[in-house]
Amino acid sequence: MNWNEHLPALLLALPLLGAFLAPLCSLGGKTLRNAMLVAVSFFTLLVAFFLWRTVLADGIQYYVMGGENSRLALPSGMAIPIRIILEVDALSAFMALCGAIASFAGALFSLNYMSRFTGLSRFASLYLLLTAGMLGMMITGDIFNFFVFIEVSSIASFGLIAFWRDRPAAVEASFKYALISQVGSMLILVAAGCLYGKYNMLNMAAIGSALKMGAMEKVALVFLVGSLAMKCGAFPMHMWLPDGYAEAPTGVTCLLVAVSQASLYGLARVCFSVYGIAIGSAFIPWMIIVFGLASMFFGVAMAVVQHDMKRLIGYHSVSQVGYMLLGLGVGLLVLGDPRAMAEFGFTAITGGLFHAFNYTMYKALLFLAAGAVYYATGKRDLNDMGGLARRMPYTAVMFLIASAAISGLPPFNGFVSKLFIYESSFAVHPFLAVVALVTSVLTLASFVKVFQTAFLGPEKSVFAGVREVPPAMLAGMAVLTVVVLGLTLFPSWSIANLAEPAARALVDQSGYIGAIMGGGM
Amino acid sequence: MGKVFTGFGYWDVGAWIIFFVVAAFYVLWLRYQGRSDYKKGTEQDEIYWSGNETPEDGDGLTVPASSAYWGFRKALEPFYDRLVGMHTGIATDILGFYILVTAFMAAIILFV
Repeated sequence: MNWNEHLPALLLALPLLGAFLAPLCSLGGKTLRNAMLVAVSFFTLLVAFFLWRTVLADGIQYYVMGGENSRLALPSGMAIPIRIILEVDALSAFMALCGAIASFAGALFSLNYMSRFTGLSRFASLYLLLTAGMLGMMITGDIFNFFVFIEVSSIASFGLIAFWRDRPAAVEASFKYALISQVGSMLILVAAGCLYGKYNMLNMAAIGSALKMGAMEKVALVFLVGSLAMKCGAFPMHMWLPDGYAEAPTGVTCLLVAVSQASLYGLARVCFSVYGIAIGSAFIPWMIIVFGLASMFFGVAMAVVQHDMKRLIGYHSVSQVGYMLLGLGVGLLVLGDPRAMAEFGFTAITGGLFHAFNYTMYKALLFLAAGAVYYATGKRDLNDMGGLARRMPYTAVMFLIASAAISGLPPFNGFVSKLFIYESSFAVHPFLAVVALVTSVLTLASFVKVFQTAFLGPEKSVFAGVREVPPAMLAGMAVLTVVVLGLTLFPSWSIANLAEPAARALVDQSGYIGAIMGGGM
Repeated sequence: MGKVFTGFGYWDVGAWIIFFVVAAFYVLWLRYQGRSDYKKGTEQDEIYWSGNETPEDGDGLTVPASSAYWGFRKALEPFYDRLVGMHTGIATDILGFYILVTAFMAAIILFV
């Protein structure tokens, strides 16, 4: 049996199996459950890595679920694919790798972080279910299936955000997220229904091959763009995000960062691979650019004045998503103009996607470091902190690295992706680049404040008994630190092997469609 | 390592790392030189705190995070009043923004 052929299905089967095994493993004790959680996350990461490598070497991989032959998308006599197909191009593989790294780091971190609490079999189940939902969103080729995976990840998220159900703030944050998320999911379902009603198809590649812009398609596009922009935290639909990120257990927040990127992936997939140049007017690309600018600026403006560490980092998530939206919006704006695409559009998309990878790594690291501080001190309010670098030197160093990366300080990885976005957005209008630069300055100002107030300054007597966090938590942070440093030290390799293949796959609508429809656009 | 080509120019991570290594070496060398008149355990070890007596606990020394960038926030008070004001935290407001944005996009794309 050729295992490579089954990698897309394995990527979903592993975390799903783990989710249902967790309650059983819990019967065998804490050690068995923890070992299962970490092992499943690690093997999921390995599968994601091998899938990414296979896609880079052999091109788009697809997997027909439930068919006689997993590689037969269009059985003889069929004009359109009717089974659920997982379609993994370089973009899907890139996002899945990114999500799997975050999931593994969060699982490692949670071993010690969650050890003080009860109900951990449910925690492990929901955590792995969230991982499966996120990865499903990233690799499915079916728009209804995409909705199903959104629901899987959303329901797992509601439970995980409200995991500390004795805390009213956690229950409230979960309720808010559930409310807006469910309305968003319903609109995605309506959009899928619009497209199914018009084309009698649910496969994204097949819809893309037949799509012609009309009223129904426009309604579906607006519902998809609005809902997915909301789910990735675009301003002004972002308000659920700081609450949800701040109240969830920290290992979960690390994974939620990657889940928001699955929504961003969905947005890009719909706009580029399903609609492509049929999108016609510049309105939607400009809307995405405006979402990007507003998210960047207002997100960071809110972050600067926060003093709850996790809420502050949460507002920075809104701001950082803005960079990706700006890059993708600029690329979408010039999708039908090969010259502009070659001059700056492709750079914008590459920058946006590279930023998505960078962001997931350093933002997850920042949340884990904030969680480590909370674990050690019981404090989240920066006003109560100070001098912690003496007590928690490893956490402080890793937080500093992530802060430098998010602030876009050279030579860190955040700088490289931002540079791509600055230069390409400048080509559309200098104002776009100015907003991006001002946002970066404010991001730096904000993290100078956080680092100075939490880790530097004189030691406070109340922290005399504080010790560095346990090894599993440090290991979770170290995984992400190593990735951030790797992306920093080898930017040309990272761009050539991670971001550019993903960007090429995103703009190659005919390649995405042809893999399923046999080139029959 | 290597150069990153952006399409508009390039950026070399190696050059920056060399710069930081050289700068760090120079700063550490300067620090190592020290001052010849330094005497450990004297008042020279005291923190200078605007001529006042240094508090025992760090609490009295630090500027709390909520006071950081006070001037920035004060200068932009009208902007911040509105921005913070729109973050009510009320679930229906959160949903309202989403519905409004989606409705706006739908109206423009369908009727303009």
